[in-house]
Amino acid sequence: MRGIAVAAPGERTARAGRGMLARVGAAMRLPARACALGALAGLAGLAWPAGDAQAADELNLYSHRQPFLIEPFLQAFTAETGIEVNVVYASKGLAQRLQAEGKNSPADVVLTVDIGRLAIYADKDLLAPVESAVLTEAVPAHLRDPDGRWFALSKRARVIAVSKDRVPAGAITTYEDLADPEWAGLVCSRPGSHVYNRAMMASMIAAHGEEGAEEWATGLVANLARRPQGNDRAQVKAIYEGLCDVALINSYYYGKLSSSDIEAQREWAASMTMIFPNQDDRGTHINISGGGVAKHSKNKETAVAFLEFLTKRDAQELYGAVNFEFPVNLAVEAAPAVRAWGTFKEDALPIVRIAELAPAAQRVIDRTGW
Amino acid sequence: MAAPILSVLAAATEDSGGLWAHLFETVLPRYVANTLALMAGVGGLSLVLGVSTAWVVTRYEFPGRRVFEWMLVLPFAVPAYLIAYVYTDFLDYAGPVQGALRDAFGWQTRRDYWFPEIRSMGGAIVVMGAVLYPYVYMMARTAFKLTPHTLFEIARVHDRGLFRTVGLPLARPAIAAGLALVLMETVSDFGTVDYFALETLTLGIFNVWLGMNSLPAAAQIASLGFLFVIAMLVLELMSRRRRRYVDTGRRMRSLARLRAGPAQTAACLAVCLLPVTVGFLIPVGVLLSFVVKGYALPDYGGVLTVTLNSVVVALAVAALVMAAAALMVVTVAYRPSRPLTVLAGVASSGYAFPGTILAIGVVTFAGAVDRGLDGLISGVMGLSFDGFLTGGIGLVLFACMVRFQAIGYGALTSGMNRLPPNTVSAGRVLGLSLPANLFRVILPLLGTSFLAGGLLVFVDVMKELPMTLLLRPFGFDTLATHLYQFAKDELLEQAAVPALLIVLAGTGPVILMNEALRRLGEGRAGTR
Repeated sequence: MRGIAVAAPGERTARAGRGMLARVGAAMRLPARACALGALAGLAGLAWPAGDAQAADELNLYSHRQPFLIEPFLQAFTAETGIEVNVVYASKGLAQRLQAEGKNSPADVVLTVDIGRLAIYADKDLLAPVESAVLTEAVPAHLRDPDGRWFALSKRARVIAVSKDRVPAGAITTYEDLADPEWAGLVCSRPGSHVYNRAMMASMIAAHGEEGAEEWATGLVANLARRPQGNDRAQVKAIYEGLCDVALINSYYYGKLSSSDIEAQREWAASMTMIFPNQDDRGTHINISGGGVAKHSKNKETAVAFLEFLTKRDAQELYGAVNFEFPVNLAVEAAPAVRAWGTFKEDALPIVRIAELAPAAQRVIDRTGW
Repeated sequence: MAAPILSVLAAATEDSGGLWAHLFETVLPRYVANTLALMAGVGGLSLVLGVSTAWVVTRYEFPGRRVFEWMLVLPFAVPAYLIAYVYTDFLDYAGPVQGALRDAFGWQTRRDYWFPEIRSMGGAIVVMGAVLYPYVYMMARTAFKLTPHTLFEIARVHDRGLFRTVGLPLARPAIAAGLALVLMETVSDFGTVDYFALETLTLGIFNVWLGMNSLPAAAQIASLGFLFVIAMLVLELMSRRRRRYVDTGRRMRSLARLRAGPAQTAACLAVCLLPVTVGFLIPVGVLLSFVVKGYALPDYGGVLTVTLNSVVVALAVAALVMAAAALMVVTVAYRPSRPLTVLAGVASSGYAFPGTILAIGVVTFAGAVDRGLDGLISGVMGLSFDGFLTGGIGLVLFACMVRFQAIGYGALTSGMNRLPPNTVSAGRVLGLSLPANLFRVILPLLGTSFLAGGLLVFVDVMKELPMTLLLRPFGFDTLATHLYQFAKDELLEQAAVPALLIVLAGTGPVILMNEALRRLGEGRAGTR
């Protein structure tokens, strides 16, 4: 007897199916151990010594920021100090990796693009407290960890983009306006659970309490022109296309689009006006990119020197030039392109509150379906 | 190899602090409904495309048939997340299609006309179906070819439809197997649903994990998605439980192809051309146009290293997976016992988990092993130990092995099932040990399955993104990770060169694999 049809993975899946059902039974223990041993042997064969690859004049970086954005900083650092910087970039899961590596981790410095992830590293006790006069002087107190485990390195504002042609000047001045029924069917947004919107929501909770923030989000969702989708760049595009008149974006997207090599993108940017909201009360919500020294870094002095480098004039100016971000160091002026946007009042809420309120913010987002 | 999977499941048993009540009340029903809709849609579309094309190329003779036989497999080389980016760019307001429509009809803004939204459930179903159907196509085609012509002749004598009475029912296990792979990939996909902002379980996993800082709850949702796949498979098995697929014929030929008339030729061409165009020609064309327009970054030296990395990793994983699969298949055949079979099943189910979640399983497991070894080496022997698992490329290889084991194991199991079950027993009776049996009996007989499985794994590893991204050592990029840093910011133009290279590197093996499967079908059918 033979099977006619190539039962191929059908047989495999059949086994997987039965396997999963039977797995509930306790029959699992012994084979699991046997398999762990087998896997261990296999891994030992594959292993590649990496932990000891680091020389004293090198620095290892875990980055949530894309390589092409940090490359200019690394080149400047290497030019100044002769220290090579190695990078692993991933958008998710680096904290788990660092945690699992424990004291054998090769990482020296962690860089993130929002406060939420920085705080997660701190909560998991993955960052070393740093005492540095340079850092405490350069970074304002509300933008760094009181225990010195993380420091903001650049700022970006969550601004409101409105259509130049269709929204009269002064019609929108606050985040709260976005929930006004006047804008029904005219608001575009990326999904609420994106870190930037989650941080935005956390700042609303800080300002209005959870109930007030939920009311606001309900109004905002009711005003949406389409299902939340795309990144901030796509929201500007949607304004250009006439799909909506109002959107929430990070300030640097405007800078990037208006100086893009691609003509179409410059046209998108030209179709919108950037509004810094809430100038008459708490100020515009800002988020940070930041960094800290890995707890088990074998190179802590260099790691601190690297963070210090990033808060000094040259690097702070570079943040504006490369990515249209604002410097955290108040002694440094923003890049000319960023300065052209004018000055504005920032929300002075200690940035750590944003991280503390993030889980509550996500719950509001889930409840309102943003 | 089951360890990382078990460590995800173990994480799921941790307390998630009452999050489930919140999730049930708010988003979970939506996640589940969307996931089911996506599975049904992608599964359905893959079935229709895969089975119809497979039937057409095995049943009819028409101009271009031989070309289509392998062209139909090509979309498999295109990663789903890539095709999602490409189609969004191609079909949205600023893209060439709508631009041309506006010019043609004099429309001014988006509000003047209706155009289907590509970032939607429908859009996701189309783009994922268009690159996943080749699983069904390959399986179904081989099955159709292996169906003995005598059965078709009986059906013909009785004037019954060949497809409905013979072809489809006999190919059912193979089609289900292809469908299972499609569904596993659908459930675990993150790139496409994230880009289209579809609230599926996978997206929920990441919201809970990163938004609420709860890895346990995230692992629980991941396990739920996993259960969906298992449930589907069990249903399919139960529904065919009492039927048997037995072949007693020894000498058979496959059914001679019908020469298609003009109308039939047109129909055949249409059936074959549609998936190839949507799944391969258009995406590759759009990417090529970016390169031609000069938007792509001309850093060819860097791209070369990255390509080399990708190919080496993919080759290594393919070899490792096939070796491990051979060991598993033979062990199970050699000493069939329930725990072993179960374990082999668990070890081959990594495919149904999202890559990042599985990567965290891998890293957690590796960290634990490292700490154990560290205690042993520095504590007992007094030596310093750096931890050789974490941070090395071995981890990337291991993770890919875990994820793609399903494919290797599946390919070899199907090969085994074509061998008379007493082959292994015969070896044992003759006093061969397990390794001797493996090398002298099984492997020579399974050459083609080996090749097909290995190539399938190779292409999948070339496309793999989330695990490599998280687990790679410093300064190590593959084509997929290199592409991702641009694609993430919707900078598709810069991503075009690595994207094309992924597709190109996948195309060769896909064609090779297709040849192997074709020979398998025809060689078997020609046996005297």
